[in-house]
Amino acid sequence: MSRHVPTSRLMPLAGLACLVAWPLVFTSPYDLRVFTLVGIYAILVLGYQFIFGHAGALALTQGAFFGIAAYVTGILGARFGWSFPATFPLSIVVPVLVAVVVAVPVLRLESHYFALATLGIAQVALLIAIRWESVTGGANGLAGVPGIGAFGLVLPRGYPTLAFVWGIAGVCALVAWWLMRDIRGRAFQLMRTSELAAMSIGLDTARLRFSAFLLSAAFAGIAGALHAHTLRVVSPEVLEFHVMVTCLAMAVIGGRTRVIGAFFGAFLLVQLPEWFRFLEHYYLIAYGGALLAMIIVAPDGLAGLLDRIGARLGLKPRQTLPSPVPLPSAAPDNVATEVPLLSVSGLTKRFGGVTALENVSFQVDRGEIVGLIGPNGSGKTTLVNIVTGLTPADAGEVRLMGQDITHDPAFRIAQCGVARTFQLIELVDDMTCLENVAVARLTRLGTGSGRPKGSTKVDAPLDLAKRQAAHLLERLGMSDAAFEPAGNLAQGLRRRLEIARALALEPRLLLLDEPAAGLNEIEQQDLAFRLKDLRTSGLALIVIEHNVPFLMAIADRLVCLDAGRVIAAGNPSDVRADRNVIAAYFGAQPQDGLP
Amino acid sequence: MLTLQLLVNGVALGAAYALCALGFVLVLNATGAVNFAQGDMVMAGGFVAIGLANLWPVPGLVLLPAVVLLTGLLGLAFSAIGYFPLKSRPPVSVFISTIALGVIFQNVAMVTFGPEPRATPPLLAAGNIDVGGLTIGIQAIAVVAIAALLVAGQHVLLMRTRLGQSLRATAQDREMAAALGIRVNLMIALTFALAAALAGVAGLLLANTYFITPTDGTNYILKAYIAATIGGWGRLHGAIAGAMLIAVFEIMFPALPLLVPFLPAAIHGMFSQTSASIVLYVALLAVLFLRPQGLFGEIAQRRA
Repeated sequence: MSRHVPTSRLMPLAGLACLVAWPLVFTSPYDLRVFTLVGIYAILVLGYQFIFGHAGALALTQGAFFGIAAYVTGILGARFGWSFPATFPLSIVVPVLVAVVVAVPVLRLESHYFALATLGIAQVALLIAIRWESVTGGANGLAGVPGIGAFGLVLPRGYPTLAFVWGIAGVCALVAWWLMRDIRGRAFQLMRTSELAAMSIGLDTARLRFSAFLLSAAFAGIAGALHAHTLRVVSPEVLEFHVMVTCLAMAVIGGRTRVIGAFFGAFLLVQLPEWFRFLEHYYLIAYGGALLAMIIVAPDGLAGLLDRIGARLGLKPRQTLPSPVPLPSAAPDNVATEVPLLSVSGLTKRFGGVTALENVSFQVDRGEIVGLIGPNGSGKTTLVNIVTGLTPADAGEVRLMGQDITHDPAFRIAQCGVARTFQLIELVDDMTCLENVAVARLTRLGTGSGRPKGSTKVDAPLDLAKRQAAHLLERLGMSDAAFEPAGNLAQGLRRRLEIARALALEPRLLLLDEPAAGLNEIEQQDLAFRLKDLRTSGLALIVIEHNVPFLMAIADRLVCLDAGRVIAAGNPSDVRADRNVIAAYFGAQPQDGLP
Repeated sequence: MLTLQLLVNGVALGAAYALCALGFVLVLNATGAVNFAQGDMVMAGGFVAIGLANLWPVPGLVLLPAVVLLTGLLGLAFSAIGYFPLKSRPPVSVFISTIALGVIFQNVAMVTFGPEPRATPPLLAAGNIDVGGLTIGIQAIAVVAIAALLVAGQHVLLMRTRLGQSLRATAQDREMAAALGIRVNLMIALTFALAAALAGVAGLLLANTYFITPTDGTNYILKAYIAATIGGWGRLHGAIAGAMLIAVFEIMFPALPLLVPFLPAAIHGMFSQTSASIVLYVALLAVLFLRPQGLFGEIAQRRA
């Protein structure tokens, strides 16, 4: 395969050429209007991709936002004679405001509630449109919506309207691409794959979802307004569930997260029914069938399918590791050294009648490695979850460098410099190792002090995040695997990758939940060596482990939990020999200490 | 007196809603997935009954076994196409596939029967009977009786039979059930069949009084969903209670100006079926906002 022609660049160009050629070939007024509708639906789907594709939430409000905007344009235009410069912004603002209002009860719901609750909202909008006749024109709707225009001039139908709509579609496509380009879109991928992992690297997932929801409403507003201007009528049809299903089908068939997918989907589902009009309702049966087939056979849609075909043909652009840049060396915290890095006091947690933690207190100093041991169910993971903010404590407090973080949300605790890994590894398997780490690094650059200064390049943070991620991979000896999807890695490397991601937060405290589980002896030795190395930079570690020899090699202190209480703490060899500890592990007192 | 009559109608409507909601929750518990086409199953049941009645004009009660059988088979086919190919994917995939199947159902009905509202034959006969001065539709009584029988039958099936035990075990913990030698996939397919049959009967019962059109499914799935939410996600009895509450509200609300004499005439216009639906959806959002776990708490298993 010749590398001189950047084939990956040719494809979008070819697509663009087809787009321009289309309305020059199919030139009847009817064809032009249909093609204008393709552009409008593409905008609608681009918006839907934010909440459905990127945020991964099955919202069924997109049709309602679209319809509401169409009504705003219709009512203001047809009843009050307002023109485009006034109605267009309002048609975007109103659905966004509706989104803000409904987001409060709806966005925190889990998927099943979310989908159906959003559908309920859409039904309310439809019923109001039908019922509020004096304003909306009831079931007949409103005719006489003005075309796009300003200052007495109105854009004629045909090519001018088409060009305007497609111009806006182009701008929307650029905005959508810009917002989700590269690693930024990967943050959403992490969120929808593992919300826990996303919060643990400092992503405010609720805010991400909220902004995705508002963006989708804004895009739907643009599409709805243009739709009313193009058809010159508004009727309750724009609010019917059919519009929502069409939008969903376009996103699923075209591709849920790719800009090009929105255009594929819109083009196919608007053009096909025109060609197969003679089939009437049989067509809609086929339509349902196509949606079903796509979700089963090609869940990534046509865009994903083309990618896969391209990859098989060897069209994948060659990737080179960005030149590594070390992370800034940790600034000393301005807290008196007498104040411990982490101090946990009186922590208590009950799940129903089960006491997971009972009055647990201990401290961790800077640069210290503390091993946390205890039999299964003794509360180790619960303790880590409370410190990192994933589980709320019933009583007691957690202080980080003297500051109370007990009730802070998980993402903020992560931003304060507490990183963790998970007992069951939480990586995004479809993302490369570099991406997995770079997402965390970019999040840190966006919130922390490490924002690059003095750079004129627009994408400086993105670029820097990837280069620093490359450095972290190098530091953990994984440079070779940088472009390997995380799902392809062996267990030992997956553990290391999770540590690399945690280090991207420039943490002061790193909590590792059973890092040696599933590793062979050589991998364990390698990990022990790397963990000790981390300490030299002032980082403190809390390591949960059942593997006591592994801990003996690295820990400065051991804390032993049993049934939610600290039963021993201190020097590793003392703890290991402690009668209570042995009793906790074996139930009785064996002759020797722990193995 | 009027109140009582309306109440009877409300209970009859609620009984049919309850069958639909029951099926919805059964599938939810067994698979963790939302079956969006459950409302379209109601519609399908109605049209199956209408189609059968065209061939063989007999009372609805005689058609009932055939409707159960046919919609049950439809449920089996439904699970084979819409659920099993996607069972290891995220729940959202199943949700979308059931939306797609719903679209197919709707348009098959549209092609076959057209968009006009149709009615199923009455279960026994049309007309009213007089009970102590209370005029009650024979259909309403029959609907309540049939639905009560089916709910009871469903309860006996789940609680008292070996098959029911396997179904419940599957719903509680699929992996454990499989480890115990229960044929989990068969149980899930049967759950879909049962859910479809319950919805199908609901269609037969409803479409006599309320008529049916191919696009009515969206309305019924929303009712089933609201019932399941009010009653506590995953709770069978809660869903039945929720269905009753919704139906009685829907019947009573538009009649409020008649029932409450001191309401000012100026706001009588606010009480209609449409506004009843609006109030219902807003109430649903309020329930979700205040008590995301439903009125009686949530028990449905989450998919890890």
